[in-house]
Amino acid sequence: MHSASAIEPLHTPALRADNVSKAFVSGHQRTQVLDGFSLNIDAAELTLISGPSGCGKSTLLAILSGLQKIDSGRVWALGSELGQLDLRALERFRLQHTGFVFQGFNLFPALSAFEQVELPLNHMGLSRDEARRRARLSLEEVGLAHRMRLRPSELSGGEKQRVAIARALAKQPELLFADEPTSALDAANGQIIIDILHRIAHTHGTTVLCVSHDPRLVVHADRVLAMEDGRILSDRRTHAAVIDSKENPA
Amino acid sequence: MVALARKTLVYEWRRFLPAMLAVGFAGLLQLLQIALVLGIFGSTSLYITGSSADVWVGYPGTQSVSLGRTIDADVESRLLMDPAVRQVEPYLWIDGDWRGPRETGGVSVFVSGIDPAADGLMFSKILSPELRRRLAEPDAIVIDRSAQDQLGIDIGQTATINGQQVRVVGISRGLRALGGVNVLCSLDTARRLDNDPTDTGPTYLVAKLRDAAQAETVAMRLRGDTAFGPYTAWSAGDFANLSVRYWLFDTGAGAGVLFLAGIVFLVGAVITSQTLIAAVNGSVREYATLNALGVGVCALRKVVLEQAFWVGALGLLGASALGVVLMLLARSQDVPVVLNVPAALACIVLVLGLAAVSGLAAMRSLRRADPATLLR
Repeated sequence: MHSASAIEPLHTPALRADNVSKAFVSGHQRTQVLDGFSLNIDAAELTLISGPSGCGKSTLLAILSGLQKIDSGRVWALGSELGQLDLRALERFRLQHTGFVFQGFNLFPALSAFEQVELPLNHMGLSRDEARRRARLSLEEVGLAHRMRLRPSELSGGEKQRVAIARALAKQPELLFADEPTSALDAANGQIIIDILHRIAHTHGTTVLCVSHDPRLVVHADRVLAMEDGRILSDRRTHAAVIDSKENPA
Repeated sequence: MVALARKTLVYEWRRFLPAMLAVGFAGLLQLLQIALVLGIFGSTSLYITGSSADVWVGYPGTQSVSLGRTIDADVESRLLMDPAVRQVEPYLWIDGDWRGPRETGGVSVFVSGIDPAADGLMFSKILSPELRRRLAEPDAIVIDRSAQDQLGIDIGQTATINGQQVRVVGISRGLRALGGVNVLCSLDTARRLDNDPTDTGPTYLVAKLRDAAQAETVAMRLRGDTAFGPYTAWSAGDFANLSVRYWLFDTGAGAGVLFLAGIVFLVGAVITSQTLIAAVNGSVREYATLNALGVGVCALRKVVLEQAFWVGALGLLGASALGVVLMLLARSQDVPVVLNVPAALACIVLVLGLAAVSGLAAMRSLRRADPATLLR
C-alpha cells in the first residue's frame, strides 16, 4: 500500500474528461445529460460531486469509471483512454485499478463478510494466502475484525457498507468510486463511512471520487464540485494543504 | 477461491429446490420408463439370452428372433468346419394354433423346437435338466407358469397345436413371451407340428464356440460364405439387440419412449431454467457489483453454470435413490423392469443435459447484470 507522505499531488490528473457528451434515449425522448463536459480529478484526493438528483452526477461517475460508454469526447483514467478499451480490457482495467462502493451494499446473502471481500481478490490472480491476508487487513481497517464471519443478514446497514468498502479497498485500487455511500445510513454510521473514505484517500493515496448530496461529506472532501443540469456550478477546495493545480471546468 | 455457486445453493436451497425436484422427477420418470420398456421388450430376446449359444445363424435380413425363415440344414456342416466352433445344434421356430382342453378359443403359440440333450444349448439357462430330459419324450411340451391360465391346461393334460396332439410334461418359469405364448418341445416334436411343407431346414443354427469372446469375429467370418444358400450369422449379443431394437423401434414403442423423453426433457428444462433465472435475477445487483469490480462476465457465467450442474447432480442423486427403491418394489411385484448401463447412462446424460440447457438459459439473464445500472 502507498504511504501518505510519498504521494504528491500529480500534475497529470488521475481522471480526465475532455469535451464529453452523453445522452439517453428512451422511446422518442432524448435526454442530454452531459454536453461538452470537461473535468480533471486529481490523485490522492477525496473529491465530492454533489447536486440534485438528475443533474448527471451518477452518469458522470459511470463514465469516469468506465462503466458507461460516451457519445463523443474522450475520457482518461490513470493515463489510459477508456474509449480505446474493449469490454474485456475495460474489465481488466477495473479489476486492476478500481474499487466501487454503491448506495445499496450489494452483498451476496450466502457469503460471510470475509468471503465477500475475498471473492474479487480470487479473480485478481493473487495467491490464496495473499487474498486472505488482504481481506483480513481490509476488514480490520474498516473496524470489522470481529464481525468477519457474519453473513449480511447478521450485520447492520452501516456494517454492510463497511464490508462493501473493505471489498473495494482490499483490491488496493488507485481509483475508488462511491455512489451515495451514506444515503441509506443513519447519522452515526454515515459519519463512520465518511471517515473511512477520507482516510483511504489520505493514507493509501487513493483517488476517491464520491457522488453524494449528503452535506456531512462536504466538510471531509478535499474538493467539492457542485453540479446542476450537466454542468459544474462551483468548484471549491476545502483542504488548505492542497490548493495548487486548479483547473477550470467547462 | 470462494465457492460462490455452492454456498449460494446451500444457503438459498429453498430457492433452488423446485429446480432440483424438476430435474429429479424428470430423471426418475425417464429411468422408470426405460426400465419398464427394457423389461417388457427384453422378453423378445429371451430365446437368445436364455441360451448358451455364442453365434446364431439364420436367414439373411431377419429382424427379430420371432421372424426367422428356414435355412438349409447343410449349413450345419459349414459351421462345424470352422475350427472355432465346438458345438452346433438346430433350432426350430414354428407359429402354432393352440386348442386346449378348456374353452380358450384359439391361442397363438410360438413353438420352439430344441435339442433336449443334457448339454443342449437352447434355453440352457431356463430349463432344468429334469424338464429337458422329459422333453425328449414324444409329443412332450413345456410351458411357462404365467401362460397356464391362458392355455387352460395343467401338467399331464393334452392339447393340440396345429392339429397335432401334444402333452404338457412340465411347467417352467421365465419363458413369458410378448404377443403370444412360448411352447418348448424337442426338435422331433416340432417337426411333426410344422404343417408348412416348404419348411425343410431349421429356422436357426446355434453354435457354441471354443472361446466365447470370438463370437463377433466368427460371426463375421461365417457371414462371408454363400456356398450353402442364403444365410447370415450374428453374435448372440448382436442378435439379441437386433430383436429388442426391432420391437422398440418398429412397433412404435421406441418412438413413444423418445416422445415422452422429449416431453419430460422440455417440462423439466422449463421449470429448471425458470428457477435458475429467478435465482440469477435475485442476485443480479451482486453480480453487477462483481463485474464493476472487474470480475469478468465469463467468470460470472461459470458461477451460473456451476449452479446448474449442482442442481442436476443433486436431482440425479435423488432420482437414483428413489429409482432404486421403486425398481426393487417393482421386482417384488413381478413387474418386468430391467436397467442396463447404456440406459442408465442415457438417463444421466438426459438429466445433466437438461441442467446444462437450463443453465445456458439462465446465463442469458446475466446480461441484465450491467454495473452501469447500479449508478442510476
